[in-house]
This record gives sequence, C-alpha cells and structure tokens, in this order.
Amino acid sequence: MTATPTPITRRRRFLDNRAVRRFMNNPLALIGLFMVVGLTAACFLGPLLLPFDELYIDLRARFAPPLTGAHIFGTDPLGRDIAARLFHAGQVSMAVGFLAMAISTVIGTVIGLVAGFRGGWTGTILMRLVDAFLSFPSVFLLLTLAAFIKPSPAMITLIIAVTSWMEVARIVDTEVKSVREREFIAAARMLGLSNSWIMFREILPNVLGPIVVAATLTVARSILMEAYISFLGYGIQPPLPSWGNMLNSAQQYLAAAPWLAIVPGVAITVAVTGFNFIGDGLRDALDVRSHNG
Amino acid sequence: MTDKDFQFTRRQSLKFFGAAGLTAMASSFLGVGAAQAKAAPKGQIIVGFSQEPTVFNPHLLHIEVDEGVYFAIFDPLIDVDPKGNFYPLLAKEVPTVENGGISADGLTYKLKLRDDVKWHDGKPFTAEDVKFTLELLVKPEFKSWRRTGHDLVRDLTVVSPTEITWRMEHAFAPYNAILASTFIVPKHAFEGTDPNNAPFNNAPIGTGAYKWKERVPGDHIELAANTDYFGDGPYLERVVIKYIPDVTVLYTQLKTGDIDVLALQWITPDNFQEAKTLPDRVVEVFGGPFVETLSLNLMKPVFQDRAVREALYYAVDKKTIIDTLYYGVPRPTETYMPHESYYYNDKLPVQEYNLDKAREILDKAGWAAGSDGIRAKDGVRLSFTCSTTSGNHLREQAQQFLQQSFREIGVDMQIGNLPPAVMWGDHWMLSQFDMAVAGIGFLTGPDPDTSDYFLSTSVAAKGGNGQNTFVYQNPELDALLKKGGAVVSPEERRPIYLNIQEIVRRDLPFLPIFQYANIRGYKTGIHGVEANINNRIDTWNVRSWRWS
Amino acid sequence: MARFLIGRLWQSIVLLLLVSLIGFMVLNLAPGGPLSQFALTPGMTKEALDRIAEQMGLNRPLPVQYLDWLWKLVRGDWGKSFRDNRPVLDVIGSHLFATLLLMGASTLLSMLVGAWIGIRSAVRRGSLFDYSMTVLCFVALSVPTFWIGLVAIFLFSLRLGWLPAGNMYTVGDGSVRDILIHLVMPTCVLALVNVATWARYMRTATLEVINQDFVRTAHAKGLAPRRILMKHIVGNALLPMITLAGMQLPTLLGGALVTETVFTWPGMGRLFLDSLGYNDYPVVMGLLMFSAILVLAGNLIADLLVAFVDPRIRLE
Repeated sequence: MTATPTPITRRRRFLDNRAVRRFMNNPLALIGLFMVVGLTAACFLGPLLLPFDELYIDLRARFAPPLTGAHIFGTDPLGRDIAARLFHAGQVSMAVGFLAMAISTVIGTVIGLVAGFRGGWTGTILMRLVDAFLSFPSVFLLLTLAAFIKPSPAMITLIIAVTSWMEVARIVDTEVKSVREREFIAAARMLGLSNSWIMFREILPNVLGPIVVAATLTVARSILMEAYISFLGYGIQPPLPSWGNMLNSAQQYLAAAPWLAIVPGVAITVAVTGFNFIGDGLRDALDVRSHNG
Repeated sequence: MTDKDFQFTRRQSLKFFGAAGLTAMASSFLGVGAAQAKAAPKGQIIVGFSQEPTVFNPHLLHIEVDEGVYFAIFDPLIDVDPKGNFYPLLAKEVPTVENGGISADGLTYKLKLRDDVKWHDGKPFTAEDVKFTLELLVKPEFKSWRRTGHDLVRDLTVVSPTEITWRMEHAFAPYNAILASTFIVPKHAFEGTDPNNAPFNNAPIGTGAYKWKERVPGDHIELAANTDYFGDGPYLERVVIKYIPDVTVLYTQLKTGDIDVLALQWITPDNFQEAKTLPDRVVEVFGGPFVETLSLNLMKPVFQDRAVREALYYAVDKKTIIDTLYYGVPRPTETYMPHESYYYNDKLPVQEYNLDKAREILDKAGWAAGSDGIRAKDGVRLSFTCSTTSGNHLREQAQQFLQQSFREIGVDMQIGNLPPAVMWGDHWMLSQFDMAVAGIGFLTGPDPDTSDYFLSTSVAAKGGNGQNTFVYQNPELDALLKKGGAVVSPEERRPIYLNIQEIVRRDLPFLPIFQYANIRGYKTGIHGVEANINNRIDTWNVRSWRWS
Repeated sequence: MARFLIGRLWQSIVLLLLVSLIGFMVLNLAPGGPLSQFALTPGMTKEALDRIAEQMGLNRPLPVQYLDWLWKLVRGDWGKSFRDNRPVLDVIGSHLFATLLLMGASTLLSMLVGAWIGIRSAVRRGSLFDYSMTVLCFVALSVPTFWIGLVAIFLFSLRLGWLPAGNMYTVGDGSVRDILIHLVMPTCVLALVNVATWARYMRTATLEVINQDFVRTAHAKGLAPRRILMKHIVGNALLPMITLAGMQLPTLLGGALVTETVFTWPGMGRLFLDSLGYNDYPVVMGLLMFSAILVLAGNLIADLLVAFVDPRIRLE
C-alpha cells in the first residue's frame, strides 16, 4: 500500500496482523489452504512427472481402470491418461474460476461502490439491477447464455462472471453505505478530493475485507458453475479438458467405467471445499459480518 | 411386412362381413384359426423414444421422432416395404405406368381409393380428403414440412368418392416415394379453422390402426386400438409411446423391462456387447438411411483443391473409428446411397487408410510444410475448424481422433462444436462452416434422387433453393440428376444413379464415413418389429406388432 | 401494509421487465434460430425455412417482436410453444407438479435434518459431533449436485439395485408408492446442499438463543433445558427461517434443474433444457419469467408470513 500514511492505513495494518493470526489459528482454514495449494501444485507440477500427454489418443489403451500400469487414475474412452487430463483440466478449471472471480469482483465492486457512494437514483437503479440478476436461478441464465453463444474458455469465463457479480455488489453497497458517513470521508470531502479518489482510495480499502471473503467464495462457486455447464454440454469443448467436461461423458459409462465420473468429481469437491474453507476462515479472521447465515 | 396377397384376402373378408364396423365383433365371435380373421386386440407395448414427439399434424414442420406417432394413427395412400417395393394402403393399388395409374409421360396420375375406410370419428374416408391433404401441403400460409413434389401437382380432380386424378407440372419420378410419406388427414377436421392452429393438431384423427387417446406432455402418449381398422392389425389394445430423454436411462429401462421396445436413438454402440447377452431380449442391428459424413465446404480455399480432399480421406482411419469407437456396429461406406438400395453402387473404389499416400498427394499438389509443421500453399494454410453439435460424445471422440491423424500429415484441424441451434442454423444452411460432421439422409424414402443436395442450383449460400451446403457445383452431375429425375422406370434410372455415385466418390464434396446402423432392442415374444431402411422411424409397421 | 404491497409490486414489475429484456436479448441476438433444428430434415430448403420464419413473425425487427410479446404477456397471453403449439402456461403447468413435488419434499427433508443437526451442534458446541458436522456441511455445499446424483445412481441403482435410476414413476404404474420410491434419490440429492445451509443457520440461531438472558433465567428457574430450548428456538429462529426459505428459492430451482436432468425427472428444469435444445423460445422465455415470478412471490410471501407471525415487525 503506497498511500500516504493516514490513521486509516495504520489501523488496517494492525488488523491485518491480527487477521493473519486468527486465520492461522483456524484449523479448517488451514486445511482449506493446504487443499488448494496442494491441488494447484499437483495441477501445475503433476504433468511434468507423468509420462503421458493429456491429448495423446491411444485407442488400444481405452477404458483402462485405475492403477493399470502407469495410468494411476486409468484412461478415458479415447485411451488418454486421466491423471494427465485431470491436472490439465485443473489448470483450465481453476483459471476459469480465478478469472471469473476477478472479473465478477471488479464488476461487483465498481457497481457496489458507485451505488453505495452515489445513492439516490443511480444507487436505486443499480441495486434493482442486482435484484433482477438475483431473482432468477443463475443456472437458468447461465445455460441460456451458454446455449446460444459459441463456447470458448474465455466466453465461459465471461458468462460465469456476468452471472456472479451480484453478491459482491450487494456486499460492497451495504459496506459503503455504512462507511460513507464516517468522519474521515467527510474530511476527505472537505479537502476537496474528487469522488473517484474518495471512492477508490478512501472507501475501497475499508471494504476490502468483505470483498476478499466474497471473492474467495466466488472462486469456489465459479469452479462449480463451470462444472455444471460443462456437464450439461454447453461448457468448455473438447479436446481441451476441464473438470466439468471430463464429467460430461462420464454418465454414459457409469456402469462400465465409474472412475471416469469419480476422479474429476473428487477433484472438484476438493477444490471447492478448499476455497470454501478458506473463505470461511477469512470471514472469521477479517471479522466480516456473516451474510445470509 | 407380410405380402400383398394377405392385404387382398383381408379386403375380401371385409367385404364378406359387409359393414367394416362389424368386423372386429364378427371375427371375435368366429374365433381365431384362420389367418385372415381379426383377433381381438390384447395387451400393450411400451415403445421408448429418447426424443419427445410433439407435432401431431403430420404435415406441419416436424422432426423424425414425430413420425413415430404418424404411422400408428394415419395411413398414406401407399407405403414402402423394407425391400423398397411400394404397396397400397388407402389407395387400391400403387400407381404405375403399367397399371395406368401414371401416364407414360409421367404427367397424369389416376388413383383408385379404398371404399371401406373410416376415420376414427366414424366419418367415411373419401377422395375429398386426399385432395384436401395435397392442397394443404402447398397452402402458402401453412407451415408445411414439405412442398417438394406437391408443388408440381395441378388440376386435382375428385372424380368420385373413390377416385382422384391430377396432372404434374413436369414428370417427377420421386413422387411415389413422397406419397409414401404423405399421410392423409381428414378434411372435416379442418373446416373453419386455421390449419396451423386447428384443434386437430393436438388431438389427431386418422384412419390408422391406433387411435389417439391421450398425451401427458414430457412423459408419454397413449394410443388405443382402432378395431375398425381396414388393414392388417391392430393386435394390441394399447400402444404407449414413452419419452425418456436420456439414452442411457432408455437402455436401463429396456434392461429392467420398463419399456418393451427401445426405438429411436436406440441402444448406444458401447452397450451393444452387453445388450446381446440380456436374457429375454431381442437385440438387432439394422441399417439406417443416414450417412455419417465429414462434410466439406468447397467455398473455403483449403477445400477447393481436390488433392486436399483426397489426402484427408486417406488420413481417415475409418476402420479404427468404426471398430473401436463405434464398436463395429455401423458399416463403412463410399457413397451416400444406403447399401440396401436397389441403386447402391458396390463397385466404388474402397478408401484406404494410408498416411504416406496422403502426404505424397499433398506434396505433389504443392502443399509444403511450414516451420510449425502445418502445410500451406499460395498463402493458404492447411488449417480449418471441424464443427458438429456439441454434446454428441461419440462424434466428439471421433473428431479428436481425426485431429490427431490429420496432424500427422501436416494438417491442422481445430474442433469448434456448437450448440444445435447455432450449428444447424445459418452456420450449416448458408455454408459458413469449414468441415462439419453431419449425419445426412440424402434420400426421400426409397427414391435415389438427391437433387436437393447436389444440384448447382441447390446452394442456399448462393441464393439457391436446396441443401447443397457443400457448395458442390458440377455441370456434369447437374445433367445426370435432371435426366434421372425425369425417367420413371427403375431399370432405366439405375445406371444413371450408379454413375452419379462414381462422380461424387471422385469429387469428394464430403468424406463418407459410414452408413448408420441402429441397435434396436425389444422383449422376446413381440412379433412384427421389422427394420425398414425406407422409413426413418421404427414404428412404420406398428399396426402389425403383437405379442406371441 | 398497503403501501408496502404497492411498493413491492412496483419493484417486482420493474424487475420482471429487466428479466424479460435480458432473456429476450440473449435468445434473439445469438446466431441460429428456432427453425435450425429442421435443417437436416430430408428435402428441407433454406427458402422453406425462411417462409415459415416469416409466417411465425420471426423476421420482424426485434423491438417489435419484444413489444408484441410483452403486450400479449400483459394481457395474459404467454404465447405458444413452437414445439407442440400449446399455450406456454399449459406447458409449464404440466411440468409444475413434478418440480413442486421434488422441491417440496427436499425442502421438508433438508429443513428437518438441517434443524436437527444445527440445534444439536449448537447445544453440544465444540463436540466431535459439532465439529464433524461443520466439516460435512462445507463438503456438502461444495459437491456438485449432479455428481452426487451420478454417484448415487451408480451405488444404489447400478450396483445395489435398490432404487430406480430415474423417472418419476414406472410406466403403467404411477401409484403413490411407486412415485415415492422414485422420489427418494432425487430428493436426497437435492436436499443435500440445503441441509448444509439450514444446519449452519440453525446452529447460529440456536447459539444466539442459548446466550440470551431469558434462557438463562428460565434455566435458573429450573425449567427443563430441552423444553426451554425448543420453545425459544422455535419462537426466535422460526422467523428468519421463513425468510431464508424464501431466499433459497432461486438456488432450489437451479438445483432442481440439475437434479431433474440427472434423474430424468419430468419437471420444469428438464423442460427448460429440452426447450433450449429445441429452441423453443416462447417456453424458454416463459420459464425465465415464471421462475422469476416464483422467486419474487416466494420472497414476498416469506416477508408477509414474518409480519404475520410477529406483529412487532411492521412492513414498510
């Protein structure tokens, strides 16, 4: 943080330290951190250790069950190594999750900031927009979008982001409203600082905690969403693997090759659980009021 | 289908009993024994489809699965048996030049109709209904599913309740085949209504062996025996068409016995081996009229060079695709014509998987590999996108396998699958794709005419009217297609169509992979379930289905 | 009260307008169209499809189509399905029961199980039970619904053969017992996610109650702990639970969609996917609107109920 040292930043640094301590004392949060770090490491380092290419098709070796030779997780219907695919898919799915989180957090934060800071008509309209997006099941919206737009990883990421920024917007809006009237903002106003300066330099750092928590949970949610739409066939297209599309054809081979469904499913669950643990740990650590229980 | 003699005896017996309405009662009094006598229908059969029939007016825009209901409820004037022979249903005989039904120049049709047919609501079937049906199909404001052929009909004249004549604008050999899928609908059901929104469309009235009973949308349709049926059958009290939206579940339900006949979208090839071992189930493979193609868009610079198309064909490992991915179920083919057809050309050169040959052809044609290993010529990179409906697993597997093979000869194929709405919209119809994996049914019933797909004037992308999405334009072929369409006699037509197949095999506007083969399963004890390459739906002869 | 209702109504209308506008734009700005599924019909031509598009009014400018659709909707005409030409409301109506049954059963199950877990966890705060349930709830929230469905089918249908793999009833049966048997797996799978939400919620609510003075007082007066607890928890935690139930509707509907797909349950979710697949725009639009209305109504009813149960809350 390069801002001039004001009382606010000093107070934040103090909070940070306490937050880190609290986070480190939360076993679930640590387990989550461990799960996510472990999985990420596996996804990026794993492919280097495996003797297989995730795209190499070997039809003679199709449907090999786990632990067949060097195929620790077995092979898929085209004889590709599932472990290799799983790790590459992990890179794709997590990239989608993170990018969708980044985009949706930016959208949500900006909208929330503007709505909360400006208030009045602008605020009302923006927050009604949030309600509109929240008022139908996002899977419906997600599928409608995915079904009619040429699917590519970038597009899927964007679609997920577009359907998941509302939570953040709402949180930021509420937080900003509570911060807005505080003394230091009035002080900033009196100093004649511009609105955007006040919004981004003064208010934003103060609502960073809730945003970080929401963002962590959004990663978890985005990974799940990618899995949902890819499972339903509207998501990331082969040959690029993603955890979701590895599950897409698994239903068909459920009886004959259940590992096709089990392996990526476990990976998704581990990743999402990990992010949820971290998110919850952060919530406690940063002392963010719990929204919706 | 049993043969025509049987039909004839049935008609006689009907006459013997006088009023058709009494037949069922009479025959049940007389008891069984004689093959002709009609036994009281008993039992039910549940047919499972993985798509839902939703359009019940057979002339409205519909898809394949909807026809599953039509054959039970309606009758066409004539129908086609599995061998490709026509036989009469509502007509007294199949119109041919020999019997005078069609004039020697192919321009005038004269049809005699049965006089013993009643609609399900009891009203008699007459020539007026035929006239109404043929006129409805070309009505401008009607959402007609097919105008081809019917738009040539002129001067429809009802001579008597059992006779109708018309004139064709020009001779059109495929018309009998079109009539064979033209179900006659009752004129009286449409009186005073907009045919697009008639109540009939959701509660159809036909002449067929089964009557409409009820539909539970999203679930099933129930049909009940029409005991007044004039022809063979019905043998069942009830036919239930059950919609099960998932092929895997569909198969599971055949295993558990929840459905009796597993029809459209059938058993997936990967379940074939297991299905064969099921106790008390008959599992058969039968040829379908569709051909799996790698359709090429000849408007794209990469595919304009025939050498490229040829080289790609050499790089297709058909045997592995069919034997491994499709479990050996479908049959490799070199043409668009089904093997079962009278017009099938079995002398076409057989494709060979040979990567060296493919490379040689490309080298010779001047496609040289660039620094990234991908060939190029005159600034055109040998790179294209292959698309198909997303979510079709077997196709996606085949695509990925091809991608690997093509890469080995220095060809870069990307996979860009699309949701169905996008894939088969302008992308396909207006030839915006590069390469598409498409299962195409080129024929109308048993007729060999494919003008819609191959005529130079059938290119929609160039303002034409048709399905020539390959943008395949060959004057030599145009001339042959015109010639073949104007000749009525099958013997004279055959050599023309054999020739056409040779030319298409040489030019390769699409790479033929295999002719579809479907795996149907049903419970032991059901009789009459029979494959028919000339009808695209399993229930084409549901009137004859019965339990032993 | 009346002011509250009018305000809410007005808000809801604006919301619905937005929903419809977004839905309409997504559907119509994308390439392809409702007729593309007929492209592979033998003998089909571009010209024939264009003619039909013209008849169906699909060639009109989009704003005109939208306003036309909207105007009809206002007058209660939701349009007709492209697939079977039935009124959209009929189409939705015929799938509504299945979805409501599934949602109702799973809500009931998840509330009961969730409340039990939540209260027990709170009472035995810090115990092994509390701890393991917290972890389990997190996992339940993180598992993809469809995947649990697949695993359940694999275990209970394919391996053990205890339960049917899908559908709402056996063809030709359809008795209550039959439907209940088919209901078991989808209900449990759909309930799973919500059990976690309920349990976590009830745990917090119970803890609040436990820490309140009057509970301690009651305890001091010698009343049986269980009775005090139940009475006050029911009194205090029930209200927010109603709100929560309302807020969970969108999640529940979305979950139902996925669950219905896995178990081929003939409800609205499957109708939605089918309609997307067949490009049945009127039904897709209808379902978007219908689910939005359902959610809005759910929230409104929840708010009204809260006001009804607790007269101290005034609706403003």
